[in-house]
Amino acid sequence: MRAANRGDAVAYHRVLTAITPILRKVVRARGSGLGTEGCEDVLQDVLLAIHRKRHTWREDQPLRPWLYAIARHKVVDAFRARGSRVEMSIDDFAEGLPAVDGPDPTMGRDMEKVLSALEPREADLVRAFGLRGETTAETAARLKMSEGAVRVALHRALKSVARLRKRMIE
Amino acid sequence: MKTEELISALAVDTLPQPKVSSLLWRALPLAVAVSLCAFALFWGPRPDIVAAMSSYAVLKTLGPVVLVALAMAVAVATVHPASSQKIPGVLLGAVIAVALGVFSVFLAREGQSALVHALSIPDLWVCLLSVPVLAVPMLGGVLWALSSGATTSPRLTGALAGLVAGGAAASVYSLYCNKDMVLFVLPAYSSAIAVVVLAGAALGPRLLRW
Repeated sequence: MRAANRGDAVAYHRVLTAITPILRKVVRARGSGLGTEGCEDVLQDVLLAIHRKRHTWREDQPLRPWLYAIARHKVVDAFRARGSRVEMSIDDFAEGLPAVDGPDPTMGRDMEKVLSALEPREADLVRAFGLRGETTAETAARLKMSEGAVRVALHRALKSVARLRKRMIE
Repeated sequence: MKTEELISALAVDTLPQPKVSSLLWRALPLAVAVSLCAFALFWGPRPDIVAAMSSYAVLKTLGPVVLVALAMAVAVATVHPASSQKIPGVLLGAVIAVALGVFSVFLAREGQSALVHALSIPDLWVCLLSVPVLAVPMLGGVLWALSSGATTSPRLTGALAGLVAGGAAASVYSLYCNKDMVLFVLPAYSSAIAVVVLAGAALGPRLLRW
């Protein structure tokens, strides 16, 4: 995480990948009423919060309590927002539905809504790095921008994502 | 969107983010400057300012500064999840306890009628209105800086922001105020600061959410 805060993207990717299963367990344990997809949405919220607030981790302190504090805060938020919404089990309708492959348990729903509410260019950037795994150089060439401009644009796009997610929860 | 796809998008964005304390150091001097300008325009220092600053009346200015420094330390700790706010918190409590102690000593010595007498002057209302007005730019600046952090108790952090802003405003206002009686200064300044604390606590949940 220290290297990540110095701008090491590979180290940062490794950290996020390593903490995700642990956080998923925390979210599922506390949010069993939200359903698998609901939990994945909360998990993605937690990851987004960790990303947006990564400067509030003090490097001389252990990382785990900080991660848990963020996760706890976001799970509580999610419950407050979704508490009134009824989660119906798909099993109730299973007989009337054509058989489909089980949904991917790591698929979130809310992020799609956010991306479609985003400016097309910002959404394209998030998709480029997330879904298509582009590098900044590739994206820069495709959009005829400098790499620095791509970085700034992605930073802003993720900021907008966080803002829209917050509004959805409110 | 799958979680691993989100992670890939997040990992690319490694632009450094400014620390909360550096934002605070950027916002606060500016806010103090705005407040001082307003002070110079509409209040102005008391005529005997030089004499006052070399007497014990200087405590009216310096006491709030101590309060501001400690409240700021606690506020910054509250926007760093899982970080301890014990040491500055205890010191802040001690400062408030000392102020209360001094107040009760003077109250015991001079009696309740002296307190009523000290507070039944129009200056009380000037103080109660001026400090919150002077605190507005500071409260805005401090809340702006703290909103980049991640508080888990927005109301508390908001109240602490109010304490920082109110303390700073009281310190500025003390340059104008020519009432130096302890039985006036302590209750009047504390109430004026408390107004700002309440404003901060009311705004916190709205402005510090993340």
